[in-house]
Amino acid sequence: MMTATHDSQIAVDELQFRYPGADEAVLTGAELTIEPGEFVAIIGGNGSGKTTLCKSFNGIIPHFYEGDMRGQVTVAGHDVSESSVAELSQHVGYVFQEFDNQLVSPTVFEEVAFAPMNYGHEDYRERVHRTLDLLDLSGLEDRFVWELSGGQKHLVALAAALSLDPDILVVDEPAAQLDPVNARETYDRLATLNETHGKTVVTIEHQTEFIAEYCDSVVLVEDGIVRWKLPVETALNQLEVLRGQDVHPPQVTRIAERVLDDARPLPVTLADGLDLFTDYGDTTVARTDGPPEVNRKGKPVISFNNVSQSYDTLRSGTKDVLDTLSLEVYPDERVVLVGSNGAGKSTLMQLVTGLETPDEGTVTVGGTDTGDVLPEQLAEEVVYVKQNPEEMFIDDTVRADVAHYLDDRGYPNVEQRVDEVIEFLDLEDLQSRDGRLLSVGQQRRASLAIGLATNPSIILLDEPTGSLDLASREEVGRTIDRAGDRVETVVIATHDLELAASWATRVVVLDDGDIIADGPPSDVFADLAALERANLHPPQVVRLGTELGLSPAPLTVEAFTDRLNTASPPDETSKPTVEEQ
Amino acid sequence: MTTLDALRDATSVEAIKADLLRTAYENEGSFLHRLDPRVLLLWYVVFLFVPWLFYDTTILLGLLAFVSVLAVLSRVSLFLVGLMAFTVATTLGSYAVVTVFTGDPVAAIRALVPYTLKLTIISVSSLAVFSSMGPKTLSQGLRSLGIPRQFTFLITYGYRMLPVLFEEYHDLVNSFRLRSTAPDSPGRFRWRHYVYLLKLSVRAFYPMIFNVAKRSRVTVEAMEARGFSHSLADEASTELRLADMQIRPVDVGFFAGSLLVVTGLALLL
Repeated sequence: MMTATHDSQIAVDELQFRYPGADEAVLTGAELTIEPGEFVAIIGGNGSGKTTLCKSFNGIIPHFYEGDMRGQVTVAGHDVSESSVAELSQHVGYVFQEFDNQLVSPTVFEEVAFAPMNYGHEDYRERVHRTLDLLDLSGLEDRFVWELSGGQKHLVALAAALSLDPDILVVDEPAAQLDPVNARETYDRLATLNETHGKTVVTIEHQTEFIAEYCDSVVLVEDGIVRWKLPVETALNQLEVLRGQDVHPPQVTRIAERVLDDARPLPVTLADGLDLFTDYGDTTVARTDGPPEVNRKGKPVISFNNVSQSYDTLRSGTKDVLDTLSLEVYPDERVVLVGSNGAGKSTLMQLVTGLETPDEGTVTVGGTDTGDVLPEQLAEEVVYVKQNPEEMFIDDTVRADVAHYLDDRGYPNVEQRVDEVIEFLDLEDLQSRDGRLLSVGQQRRASLAIGLATNPSIILLDEPTGSLDLASREEVGRTIDRAGDRVETVVIATHDLELAASWATRVVVLDDGDIIADGPPSDVFADLAALERANLHPPQVVRLGTELGLSPAPLTVEAFTDRLNTASPPDETSKPTVEEQ
Repeated sequence: MTTLDALRDATSVEAIKADLLRTAYENEGSFLHRLDPRVLLLWYVVFLFVPWLFYDTTILLGLLAFVSVLAVLSRVSLFLVGLMAFTVATTLGSYAVVTVFTGDPVAAIRALVPYTLKLTIISVSSLAVFSSMGPKTLSQGLRSLGIPRQFTFLITYGYRMLPVLFEEYHDLVNSFRLRSTAPDSPGRFRWRHYVYLLKLSVRAFYPMIFNVAKRSRVTVEAMEARGFSHSLADEASTELRLADMQIRPVDVGFFAGSLLVVTGLALLL
């Protein structure tokens, strides 16, 4: 943290707020002070009131939602309930979680100029260019916002929020909607804004690895009040409290928790972890870990044969998504496709469903060329659960959505099968609600149910853990394991490398429309050059292992702990299980 | 590639999407785009009335030729032209069908040709004018004529949402397809298949509106947080927005030239 260049303090005093029409208050007496120049993370479970709290900083609460507000919020010397949103917005920039919907203009220039023009600033052109320079976005001015990548869109939303040069920036869940590399990039920019421009940065965040690396302090919002505000090291050591909020501590911290038995504070960053575990003796013995490898048997279920695919854009030229790619997927494989946004993962999956056919090359599913049959026919074997669960909901209740496929095909015992799937995925309470109105986590569970109800032999999951907390990440793995007896092959596209490390039997790394690495997780994660080329960031446990010289690096917290336990205890009680090289 | 394949390619969802977006946004090279939006709007208002001053089919055909040249110059979407041609043809066709029962269909159509021509002239000039104006120039033009900003912004925003709507709709239709059964035998010319797709397209419509309405909540909050309401009453903001508009000789020339063409047609034909 550096000394702030402004005096815009945020002071929340006994804030209570109830949304119009709601029975219960969301905030019930929140108290919080954020000093100028701080970098603060706000954590809390769904419905804890953390977003409501942040929206009171720029007056959306109570001016836009005219609920019942008590207590006082003071931002940069303005009493929020007495000031207008327009006035407060000059002090507070806000980036929404669904940042896609926040972009209101067709081009990047117009989007960033939106606020300065609304306030009648004659120098709006300079402001736009200054802001774009600040975020390294120069050159994108004339691009259409819908032709940008997710990461670029988020930075444009950030630029638009910065265009009035506010002292305070609020960013709602940047890591949830972006791939890890883009999220890191956003955090790097936020860190620069904080360090060299003295801006106060407040992020709502679940991913503790980012919190540990970038933030100064952590605020926990629980049941409508601020439970505590603590320095980051202390906050991330409150393991039980964090788990109670479905927030998972960094992997380094989890390893240390299992290994250390004294009252020392646990490390929270990779660097701290390295310092600690370097003294932990020789850990370089090789052990196998991760799931057992499956031998390939039989004929490939899915095969891509020299597939190329591209599309045209208005101002961004022709984009090649896949470039003469070949890949064969065998029965009983659990394949994870990794790669940054735009590497071609989703396109690859669309091709398997037959909704798209390749510009060049062929795709065959179970021996059938996808160009020869309708997607409706392929759907008997293949199910595709989309990245954006919202697009899966076509009926007005979850139950009807789950039953849609079965009803339409006139299957017998539809009710019974729907009941099974609903129970299996714990959707009893949600089954009569409209899927589109659920929270994102619930939507994802419901979309899995819709997929599994078709009783497929090939499951394609696009980003199943996106914007889910970690508890559900493990749940996704379990769900797939129990998904159904017909399931032969599962392919997951993700940038969640922790999921890849713990679940896959085969990891395929895509970059620039082609495969640059393919093999069991332990091999692929050892190939740091390929990961770096694909712009991927290996899980913290792998980075820690690699830095410590472990080869192969353990892929999970459990494997790492086992390795430490067998290799190094100073007073040995368990039997050493060192293997011969 | 057979003609049928070519036709199918040209009418694929992707092709139509690209065509419409190009019409909405990529108009910078077209002739009409260089004109001041106010002049263009005024020209449009005049051309809404001009066809009704004439009854002679030859003059009307001349007018149609004139506006068609302008439409070609402003690179109107082929899809929209096709759609319009289809509507004109079916309208005339339906007159014929109805008048079979009431009397002489040929005479009826002949009587209705001038009327249909007038409507077509207006449609073509609408296409020419509105395809050559981007969302920004259109809302600038309307704003300078005193239309409130709430409305002119809606136009810009509508354009912005256009590609999102296309995407959303396409995805929903695909969701329907993956969970429905296609007809067993497609029938002659695959008509059953097309009827099936048409049904799905209709059913995907409501979910699309629902999803888009959901998005707009965040949009409205975000606009508020960046001073949209503030701009409504802010003089300086309005001035900034209209600053780069000016009427140049080419605008006057175009307007006068168009009137000359009309007078010429009226006198010569």
